[in-house]
Amino acid sequence: MKAPGRVVISVQALCIHAGKDILLGPIEFHVREGGTLVIIGETGAGKSLAVQAILGTLHGSLLAEGQITVNGQRHDLLAPSTRANFWGKELATLPQEPWRALDPLMQSHRQVCETHRFVSCHSQHAAVVATNNAFGSLGLNGAEQHLPGTLSGGMAQRVAFAAATAGGAPILLADEPTKGLDTKRHATVVSLLSQVPDSGGALVVITHDISVARSLGGDVLILKDGCMIEQGPTHAVLDYPKTTYTKDLANAQPACWKPAKPCQSGDWVLKADSIRIKRGGRVLVDNFSLRLHAGERIAISGPSGGGKTTLLDTLAGLLRPANGEIQRAEHLSSTDIQKLYQDPPAAFPARVNLSCSLRDVARIHGVDSAQVACLLSRLGINSALLDRRPDEVSGGELQRISIARALTVRPRILLADEPTSRLDPITQRDTMKLLADIASDENIAILLVTHDIAMAKAWANRCIALSSPEEPLPPGGWGNRLDKAY
Amino acid sequence: MHSQPGRSIRDGRRITGLILLGMLALAALAGPDLVNHDPARQSLLEAMQGPSSEHLLGTDHLGRDMAARLLSGARLSLFLACLSTITAALPGILLGITASWLGGWMDRILCAFADAVLALPGLLLVLMLAAISPGSWWALYMGISLTLWVEYFRYTRQRVRIVLADPAVEASQLLGLGPGTIVLRHLLPEIGPGLLTIAAFGAATAVTAVAALGFVSVGIRPPTAEWGSMMTELLPYWRESPFLIIQPVACLFITVLALHLSVGGGVQP
Repeated sequence: MKAPGRVVISVQALCIHAGKDILLGPIEFHVREGGTLVIIGETGAGKSLAVQAILGTLHGSLLAEGQITVNGQRHDLLAPSTRANFWGKELATLPQEPWRALDPLMQSHRQVCETHRFVSCHSQHAAVVATNNAFGSLGLNGAEQHLPGTLSGGMAQRVAFAAATAGGAPILLADEPTKGLDTKRHATVVSLLSQVPDSGGALVVITHDISVARSLGGDVLILKDGCMIEQGPTHAVLDYPKTTYTKDLANAQPACWKPAKPCQSGDWVLKADSIRIKRGGRVLVDNFSLRLHAGERIAISGPSGGGKTTLLDTLAGLLRPANGEIQRAEHLSSTDIQKLYQDPPAAFPARVNLSCSLRDVARIHGVDSAQVACLLSRLGINSALLDRRPDEVSGGELQRISIARALTVRPRILLADEPTSRLDPITQRDTMKLLADIASDENIAILLVTHDIAMAKAWANRCIALSSPEEPLPPGGWGNRLDKAY
Repeated sequence: MHSQPGRSIRDGRRITGLILLGMLALAALAGPDLVNHDPARQSLLEAMQGPSSEHLLGTDHLGRDMAARLLSGARLSLFLACLSTITAALPGILLGITASWLGGWMDRILCAFADAVLALPGLLLVLMLAAISPGSWWALYMGISLTLWVEYFRYTRQRVRIVLADPAVEASQLLGLGPGTIVLRHLLPEIGPGLLTIAAFGAATAVTAVAALGFVSVGIRPPTAEWGSMMTELLPYWRESPFLIIQPVACLFITVLALHLSVGGGVQP
C-alpha cells in the first residue's frame, strides 16, 4: 500500500430530495489520491444521483443538501455554470452505455481528438499526437475511422474512456461501466479503470456487479433505498458482510444460485433445423438446430456481438433465416411467442403511461383488469407505479412490468434477450427465479439469451453456447455453435 | 435547475401567442357584428375620418368603417388558414404514415409525387388556379393547401420511419396490437408536437399568402374586405392618413406573430 494521499473528493451529509421525498442520503465518503470508491446498490437506490450531485448535473426538480468538496473547494456552493468549467479538466465522467455517450456521426478518432484540442487546449498537431498515443495504449489501433455504431461494446467503452480522460481530469466518475458487456470484457474495463488510481487520480465507480467491485478493490459503499448500509474496504465488507442485505448481495451472484430442477419436457413448441443467419453479408450463426419443448428453459450464451439477439429475432419470426427452417407447433397463434427486451424502457411506448400500455394489451386479448392486477401483484409491482411513464420507473420494475405485459397474452414461448443485464444481482436473481417459476407453473418454454455463463448454467435446463466466427474459442470451449447440453 | 429559466421564457411566449390567437379567433368569429357596421357600406361624406366613437378605427377613402373591414378580413384570413392547414395536414400525415409503413414501391411513388409538387413553385400553382377562376376563395385555398401538404408528408414519413424501427413497436406488434393502436400510442405522441409546429408555420404562411395575393390584386377581389387588398387600396393615401394603412399591416403582423409564438421555442423534448 502506498501512503494515503490527500483527500480529493469529500462528501458530507449529502441528501437528495425530490419535493418532500428523500431519494438519497444522508451519505458520507472521502476519496483520496490514488483511491477507489465503488458504490454498489440495487437499481433505483440512488447511486447515479450521488455521482450527478458531485458533477452538478442533477435534474432541476431535485434538490441536493450537504457538503461536496472537490480538491478542497466547496462545489455545492458554486453556480451550475461555474461547476461546468471543471468538467473534463478536474472531473471526468464515463457514462453508462458508451455508444449513447459518443456522437454517432463522428469518427472515433475525431471525438477523442476534439477533447484534446478544445478541453485541454492543445494545438491541432499535439491533439492528434495525443489521440494517437491514447489509441495505441488502449489497443484501439485500426478503429480510428470507425463510427461508434460500428464498434463493439468493449471498443466503444475504450473510445469513451479515451475521450473522458483526454481533458486530463484526475478524477473519473464511472456509471455502470460494465453494463451490457460480456464477462470477458469486464476484465478489460477493470484494468482500464485501474489506470486512474494507479496514476495518482481518484476513481468513483457505480456498479451492481460484485465481481467488478472485488477486482477494483479500494473502498466500497453499499446503498439500499437511498440509505447507506455499509461502508469500508471492499474485500472486508464483501467477505465478512455485517448486514443481511450485503450478505444477500454477495450470495446473489449466479454462481451461488441453486441449480435448476430438471423439467418434464412436454411436446415441442418450436423447432429450428440447421439454420444459417446472415446479417450485412456476414454469417452470424451457422448450422444451428434447436428443439424447444413446452415448459423447458434453455439458455443461449456467447460473446457480445456474436449474433445472439439476431438468432432470437429469427426464432421469433421477425427475421428470415438465410438457410434452414423454423417450425412452430401447429396450435401456436401469432401472439404465442413473446419477447423480453434487454433495455426495458425501449420496449414501451415512451410517451404513454404504463397503465395505458397494459390496458391496450389486455383489451385486445379480452383479459380483464383484475387478472392483470393479480399478475402485477404476483410480480411485486405496486399499482401506483403504473401512472408513470416508462422512463420514470427503475429498470428492475420496468422489466417486471414487461414480463407482466407479455404474460397477459398467455404466451407459450418467451424469448428473453438479456432481460437482467441491467439489473442488480438481487433483482436479477429474483427476476430470474420468477421467470423460472412462471415457466413451470404455466408450462411456458423460455429461451434466454445471456452473456453470463454462470447464470446460464445455474438457471437453465439446457445451455447452448454460440461462438462468434471472429473470436477464438475460450479455454474449455463454447461448443461449436451447435446445440450442446452441459 | 439549469433548464428552468429557458423553459419559463418559452412557456411565457407560448402563452402570449395563445392569448393573442384566442383574441383573434374571437374577433373573427364575432366579425363585423362586433362594431355594428356593414364593412361594404360606403359613405363618401364620411371618408378618411380619424377614430371616433362612431367609427372606432376611422373610415377609409370610401367612408367604409375600418374596424368592420378589418374584422371581416380577419374572419376570411383565419378561416382560409384553418381550412388550408387541415386539408394540407390530413392527407400529408396519412400519406406520410402510409409511405413509411408500407415502404417499397408505395414509398417511392409517394416520394416522387411529393418531389414533383415541390419542384413546382407554390405561388405559380396559386396563380394558375387564380387564372382559372379569378377572385374566388376556393382557388386560393386549393393552391395553398396543395403546396403545403408536402411538408407534413415529408416530416411524418421521416419521423415515422425512425419510430417504426423502435423495439417498442416490435414489442407491440408481437403482443398483437393492431396498426390503429400503434399509430395512436407510438406514432402520434412522437410526431404530434412537431406537426403542431409545422401547422402553426403553415397557417402563418397561408395568412401571408392570402394577403400577398390580395396585395397584387390576384386574390380576393374588392369590395370583399381582405387585408392584402385593403393595403393596396389604402396605399395611395399613406401620406394623408398613415393611420389607415398601418391597420391591415398590423393585423397581418400580429396574426403571424401569434401563430409563431403559440408553438413557442419548438418541440419540447
